[in-house]
This record gives sequence, C-alpha cells and structure tokens, in this order.
Amino acid sequence: MSEEKLLEVTNLKQHFQTGRHSIVKAVDGITFDIKRGETFGLVGESGCGKSTTGRTIIRLYDATDGSVKFAGEDVHGKKSRSELKKFNRKMQMIFQDPYASLNPRMTVKEIISEGLDIHGLVANDEERTKRVQDLLETVGLNKEHATRYPHEFSGGQRQRIGIARALAVEPEFIIADEPISALDVSIQAQVVNLLKKLQKEHDLTYLFIAHDLSMVKYISDRIGVMYFGKMVELADSEELYKNPVHPYTKSLLSAIPLPDPDYERNRKRIIYDPNNHDTSEEPEFREIRPNHWVLCTTKEFEAYKEELNN
Amino acid sequence: MMEKILEVKDLNVTFDTYSGSVKAVRGVTFDLKKGETLAIVGESGSGKSVTTKALMGLIPKPAGKIPKGEILFDGKDLTKLSDKQMSKIRGRDISMIFQDPMTSLNPTMKIGRQIMESLIKHQKMSKDKAKERAIELLELVGIPNPKDRIDQYPHQFSGGMRQRVVIAIALACNPKILLADEPTTALDVTIQAQILELMKDIQKKTDSSIVFITHDLGVVANVADRVAVMYAGKIVEIGTVDDIFYNPKHPYTWGLLGSMPTLDSAEEELIAIPGSPPDLTNPPTGDAFAPRNPYAMKIDTEMQPPMFKVSDTHYAATWLLHENAPEVDPPEAVKRRMRDFAEGSMEKGDRS
Repeated sequence: MSEEKLLEVTNLKQHFQTGRHSIVKAVDGITFDIKRGETFGLVGESGCGKSTTGRTIIRLYDATDGSVKFAGEDVHGKKSRSELKKFNRKMQMIFQDPYASLNPRMTVKEIISEGLDIHGLVANDEERTKRVQDLLETVGLNKEHATRYPHEFSGGQRQRIGIARALAVEPEFIIADEPISALDVSIQAQVVNLLKKLQKEHDLTYLFIAHDLSMVKYISDRIGVMYFGKMVELADSEELYKNPVHPYTKSLLSAIPLPDPDYERNRKRIIYDPNNHDTSEEPEFREIRPNHWVLCTTKEFEAYKEELNN
Repeated sequence: MMEKILEVKDLNVTFDTYSGSVKAVRGVTFDLKKGETLAIVGESGSGKSVTTKALMGLIPKPAGKIPKGEILFDGKDLTKLSDKQMSKIRGRDISMIFQDPMTSLNPTMKIGRQIMESLIKHQKMSKDKAKERAIELLELVGIPNPKDRIDQYPHQFSGGMRQRVVIAIALACNPKILLADEPTTALDVTIQAQILELMKDIQKKTDSSIVFITHDLGVVANVADRVAVMYAGKIVEIGTVDDIFYNPKHPYTWGLLGSMPTLDSAEEELIAIPGSPPDLTNPPTGDAFAPRNPYAMKIDTEMQPPMFKVSDTHYAATWLLHENAPEVDPPEAVKRRMRDFAEGSMEKGDRS
C-alpha cells in the first residue's frame, strides 16, 4: 500500500427528493480518502447510506454536493463521453445479488466481453474468446463455462462471473457492494480469498461495503463507520476494533455475535442512544489519534480523548 | 435428564421434479428436550428448512413426500396425521417464526387481527378476550403503545418491529415448540441482538423449546444449548454447543468454523471449503462431503459413515472416528479453538 491517494471524497452529499417537501439525506457530507492498493471497508446498518455512497462515487447517481476525485481528477460534473469512458474503465463495481446483477439472456462470454467491446480492448473474436477464458480461469471457473447462461451456476459461481466482468477492463479501483452477503458461509470464504488474491496480483484498490463486521475487519486495512448518512468514525481496522470511541461504533461492535460460545455467554451489549450526544454545537470530524477520526463536538472530543488515554 | 418433547427418527423427505426426485432430507434423527434450544446449521440446500417444514406438516403435496421416518410428538406420529388433525397442532402446540418479516405478514390485515386469528380458532376465545390477549402479547414482545399499534397495518412497522409481531403471533397460543427459520437473517445486527434477547427472555418465561435454524455460527453460539450440523440432507454432527465449537470432529464442521474470521484471526487465509454441495437428485453412494473433504479416505467414496459416539452428548458421522482411521491434523484455526478451550476449562477447574 502506498501513501498516494487514489480516491478523495470531500463533503459528499446525496439527497433524494421523496415528496414535494420531503428530502431524504442518504449521504450527508462525508469526507474520506482511499490510498492506492488498500481495502477500505464501509460499514453500517441498512439505510445508513453506505451503498448510496458507493453508487454515488461511481456516478450511478449524480451527487447533490461535494466532490469525488479519482487519481487527482474530478469524477463528477459535466464530462464528455470519452472522459466518462475513461473513468468507467478505471472504476468497476461488484454487486450484492449475483442473481439480479447478471443478464439472464446473455451467455457468460457475452456478459464478460461487453466491457471489452465498449472499450475496444480486443480486435477480433478470437482474441475476445481468449481473454474471456483467461478471466474465467483467474476467478476459478473453467473455460467451458463461457458458453453457458447465468441460471446454470450456483450463487458463488455467479459472484465469480460478476468479479470476472469487473476485472475484464483492467480497472484500478473496485467498489464491492456487499459482495458476499447473499452467499453461504463456506462460499463466502472462497470469494473473500479470491478478492484478496486478485488484489495482490493486479494491485487493486477496493471499497468494500458490508454489514458483516467480522468479515470487514478481516479484509479491510481501514474502516469507516456510517450512521444516518454521516461517517461517525474512521480508523485502521485493528484500532477501530480495539479502541472504538464513538458510542455508535461501540454499540455496533458489541452487537455482533461471534462463533465462540464462551465469549457469547459473557458478551454485554451496549445500547446506543443518540440523545446522549452533546448538542451545544455541530459535531465535526476530528482526529483523536493519528489516523483515527471521530465525529464529535469539542466537549465530546476532550471526553473521548480522556477515555482513550485511560 | 430433561424430558423429551419431540423425537425425530430417520426422517426422509423427497420432492418430485421433472429431473427426478430430489432427496432433500435423508435420514435425520434427533430429539428435542423441554426448554432447550437446538440450533440446526448448514448451507442452503442442506435440508434444514425442509426438516422444520416437515415438523410443521408444511411439506407441499403432492410433489413433496415423506417416504420414511417418524416425528413423535405428544404420543402421536405427525407424519401420519391428516391435514385436519395437523391444523389443530400447527399454531397451537408447534408454531413457526419465518425468516422474512416483510412477507410473512398479511399486508391487508391489521396486525391485531392477525394475532387474534389463532386465538379465536384454537382457543375459542371471544373477540374481546382475544383482543386483550393480543395487547398483552405485543407488550411481551416489547412493542410500545400496543393499544394503538394493534389497529395498524404491517407497513407502519419497521423490520425489527414486524419481526416482533411475527413472534407475537407465533407465541399467541403458548406453543410447546417454537420453530424459528432464520428469524434474524433479514435484520440488522443491533436489531438482531434485540430479537435474540427477546426470544431467550420469552423462553425463560414460558419454558418452551426452540428449534433455531440459521447459517450464522455467531448466532448459534449465542442462542443454542445443542447444535446439529446438517450437510446434504443428513446430520453430520450433533452435540452441545461447547462440543461443536470447541471439540468439533467432522471435517465439514471444521470447514464451517474455519471459514468464518474471528476478531483475532488477522493475517492467515480463511479456510474455504472448496467446491459446492452435491446434487441431491443423485446423492453420492459414500459420504456426500467426500468430494470437498481434504481428509477423505477411500472408504468415504464407498460407504456412508454411521454416527460415531464421541461422548454421551456428542455424535459425528465421519470415518475419521473409526478405530482403524489414521490420526489427522485438523486445520490450525480449529486446533486453536480446541486449545483455547482446554486452557479455559483448566482455569475453570482451578477456580472450583
């Protein structure tokens, strides 16, 4: 992992108009960056805006406000076709549901080669077939699978096809939106191991969105915790699990059941009450320790600091 | 010794399909004691949901059949009962909590009426009494302002609250057995924690038995007294929660435990179980897990292993427990579990 920032998200906002006078602030001013070669985990409960963040970064939605810079260039705003194409090639997405994200009427080869054709990466069909077969082998499938349709595959195999499709255009950055939550436990490990292997071989950077915190801790270098459209805490994954500071992070961590009966018998759940926050001023994102950020007011900042030092 | 409330003996369930008959459950035997929670874990397609559906008499006919086996409850074999007899048991003695609270409630009915339905049918309560009881039940499952809430529709509740309503319906007639099929899978972790606490609390109050189906081993460690691990329509290992988590014997259980990261397993690679589960239209002759099992021996491809006894509470179906089997070395993650537990129990011994 280098120190170079591959993706910089600044004060990103995504608001949806849901009625004449009602607006849902799905993402409400979040700032973070992702370094080249790292895996950044984004966790939170459903409705906290983690998926919206991913989708906004890759321009599936137009951001309400804020900026997203990829390798120093602004992703949002008006873009010409060729500029967009360039971004699309560098940034790819793996979706949650391997059943819904593959077109059932296309063969695996068609699905994977669509991106190759759009970006003109192959000259003829022979090259296309070769490339698709290579990709299938990279993700642990056989080259015979190229002529089949998605319904002939199991969930884990389909997710591999989705990964092959994302890899086809040789991206630098992959957004994985809950890539394993629809899979069985034993298959989840296969896919996670594959993602880790591909990261090493292709020098990929991941934004890994999930609600399964133990898996996120395992795969991520740094983790951001979201709550109601805001990022409440951001730290190295070890640090976040050892020294959670924000009460919401604490409550989230204390709620995860672990596969260890002895631990479970003694686990005490911490309940988060948003009303306990200091409301004297608007909370800000502050650095409480090197590389450990937390959303808090000045007063809370002092209190958290004290708590960390004890 | 606790009293057995339910006994399942050699249960087989098949489904007829165009491509042949699928043997979804292939000889499952277990019992359920009063007041205990038995967790059934396994991958999708392992037969865990079909097993509970059989207990409820909800195997769809005519495609689904129970060619062999008994389900003994209250002196009766549930597999032999007519639909009419079964409908007297279902919802009264045995009731079920489904996975998805979004689809298991009727969207066009007020939730009060959905709770009252079984009270009026099974307990012959008057409408007013049933309403009173419905309010009590909503209070029991922790829904605020139950008096106002019973006149609302499911869409006016959040996911966690809806699952509480589903639990209230299941509890309406004080069932002896509660079957919970992935009751928390669709919920967020903090809501899941609340629902699990609620279920344990209710179990303490009512002394009912729970069969809890899940694929989340964290949840199992939290709720279960005993655990049955299912693979390809069979129970491959059964024991107390400590037996399964700290002294697992079956390579499939090793795989399951190894494929989940614990919070202190940092750098090592997860143990993925290679391949995928077998097609149960033509189940393999030998051990169904053999093709995915790095410890498989020649006999695994030829003969199905019987249940070997490990201790009074712990049984596993793997040839590795046969007296002629070679010593094998379980994966590192599993050995660490065994070691931690051995040390832990020694500490406990010191204290006593």
